[in-house]
Amino acid sequence: MCYYVIVGNPDSNRIDFFQQTLQRLGHPPARIAAWADLLEGHARLPEIVQAGDCVRIESPGRDFDVERLLLVAGAAEAPPGERLSALEAQSLVFERGRIWFPHQWYLGLRRALRQIEGQLAECPPHRLTNGLAEIVVMFDKAQTHARLCAAGVPVPESLPDVRSYGDLTEKLRKAGWGRVFVKLSHGSSASGVVALRTDGRRAQATTTVEMARSNGELRLYNSRRLKVYEDASEIAELIDALCRHGVHVERWLPKAALNGASFDLRVVTIGGRACHTVVRQSRSPMTNLHLLNMRGDVEAVRDRMGTAAWAQAMESCERAAACFPSSLHAGVDLCITPSFRSWAVLEVNAFGDLLPRVLHDGMDTYEAEIRAFASAGD
Amino acid sequence: MAIYEHLQHFDGKPVVDWELGTPLTDPSETAYRISISWEEHEASSQWTDKFAQFLAEPGVEEVTALIVGPWEGAMESDGSSEAATEAIVAARERLPNLKAVFVGEILAEEAEISWIQQSDLSALFNAYPLLETFYVRGGNGLHLGSPAHDHLKTLVVQSGGLDVEVVREVVAALLPALEHLELWLGTENYGATTTVDDVLPILNDGLFPSLKYLGLCDSEIADAIAVAIATAPILDQLEVLDLSLGTLSDEGALALIAAPSIGKLRSLDIHHHYVSPEVVDQLLALPVSVDATSPESAVDEDDRYVAVSE
Repeated sequence: MCYYVIVGNPDSNRIDFFQQTLQRLGHPPARIAAWADLLEGHARLPEIVQAGDCVRIESPGRDFDVERLLLVAGAAEAPPGERLSALEAQSLVFERGRIWFPHQWYLGLRRALRQIEGQLAECPPHRLTNGLAEIVVMFDKAQTHARLCAAGVPVPESLPDVRSYGDLTEKLRKAGWGRVFVKLSHGSSASGVVALRTDGRRAQATTTVEMARSNGELRLYNSRRLKVYEDASEIAELIDALCRHGVHVERWLPKAALNGASFDLRVVTIGGRACHTVVRQSRSPMTNLHLLNMRGDVEAVRDRMGTAAWAQAMESCERAAACFPSSLHAGVDLCITPSFRSWAVLEVNAFGDLLPRVLHDGMDTYEAEIRAFASAGD
Repeated sequence: MAIYEHLQHFDGKPVVDWELGTPLTDPSETAYRISISWEEHEASSQWTDKFAQFLAEPGVEEVTALIVGPWEGAMESDGSSEAATEAIVAARERLPNLKAVFVGEILAEEAEISWIQQSDLSALFNAYPLLETFYVRGGNGLHLGSPAHDHLKTLVVQSGGLDVEVVREVVAALLPALEHLELWLGTENYGATTTVDDVLPILNDGLFPSLKYLGLCDSEIADAIAVAIATAPILDQLEVLDLSLGTLSDEGALALIAAPSIGKLRSLDIHHHYVSPEVVDQLLALPVSVDATSPESAVDEDDRYVAVSE
């Protein structure tokens, strides 16, 4: 029996659920290394991790203090310009939905994960469920896309290095594309995503991002209600603002529909195998679950695709996961086209395994992960 | 909201997506949908080439119902229905039994309704004098001409914002057999320019003697239309009044409740509406079958939306 150490936010439901699963399986409770404590130097992993432990890295998200600390950590690494000093980052005040500095946040996460790597090197022999360097890649959409492409995983084509709205429209014209998704390179889930359509004369941007102006400063917020911008100058302002944080631009593939709504799939791979699958249905271009969208019927999708195509689509997810061989689990987002004949991997999420009550072979994600990791260690 | 799924039936027949090399097994009892999928678009396939292959299939002369799905470029807002329309017009000899056509059965994920590029479809009416059912989705670039057609029974124009010119073309049309007229007027934001005055001829002038189903749907002026219909002669001939998908509120609903001829309707469809629960109860008490599902709520008038727009 293995003892778990979780690097995570102690109040998060992720840790709650994981502890419940451990208890149900008769494991001792995990010891928690709080992100905040590690980032502030109040805790060090060599004092927590013991010989034979399993170390699990959890999402640092949904905790403003941790977000602030990651921005502080990123201050040293961020290029000048669009960045906050450590002092400015330290004094940020919580605002619901505010998109702060995703690139700086990413640099902070990268730095923190390197520190964790250094501390783990001082610990007695243990096993790690997540590849730390792989987490960093998964939080960079362009790098992830490139890695998937190189491995022959079907992905939407991308437009590299988009710097501004003008740059984007010019590249779209050259490529002959009419619609794309513009995503923050380092955003998670639907944060900072714009579905953009243009015919060269007019444009329409459907997005989770809300723009607000305060003292002449443009602020971006994540909104649960989708907004549609039609005004060219507003769209330019929005895209330019996102570009300052770095964007990844991909072709907007049409999604298949079932029961009156389009959908994509979240497929959690565990130990390299496609396991838990959720059909995320939506009547908008965004299908991410926490935009209050509904879950659909996996069997219906499988029937509609046919078993052979379904198996191939799952294999694509497994090939995507194989690009991250040190990661026990990955949350792969898969788009299926309206003909149900082709598909593409949209995202690979490092912490995409929070799917309470979704079962595969009678197990939820956490139980399946604990068992898979135990047998991998045998 | 928008349209996310394909028709399963068209003109009473099951829809089959026709693919290259598929024989026509029951051509007279099947509605064939011809479209350029995302994969075919990526492989540079053309709608007209696929249609030409369809026309070469044995039994094609028995086909009665045809659906035009996305053409190449439709998903990229690049190219209109013009080439497909010309091809169908040119195919009149090969499709002597064609009775039902849908131009632009395209889903929101492929191209939102206001991004579908239509074209001048008027030649279809001349080319197919036996046509009975005509559907079109998308109002951009759309022209119907003012057809004079003896057999057309059903005319449906689905749009997120219809230009008044199309409404005027319909008003000027000569369609003695027309039983079902459905116009989705849409919202000003997406190009709707029709006022209630523009539809008055349909309500007052007996333009379509056979009309039994009138749909003025997805409209921001649903209240004004309902008020006008309440005292219009058209109520004496209709079986179905469809004001669904729009912004109908108490004002329009109360006018309908007070209409002397409202009881002559068989059914009234207002689903997706802004009518208060009390007034919905009054509607349901009418001796008419009423669909008042999908109630919406708005803080004020500016907050009311039609169901299908972008």
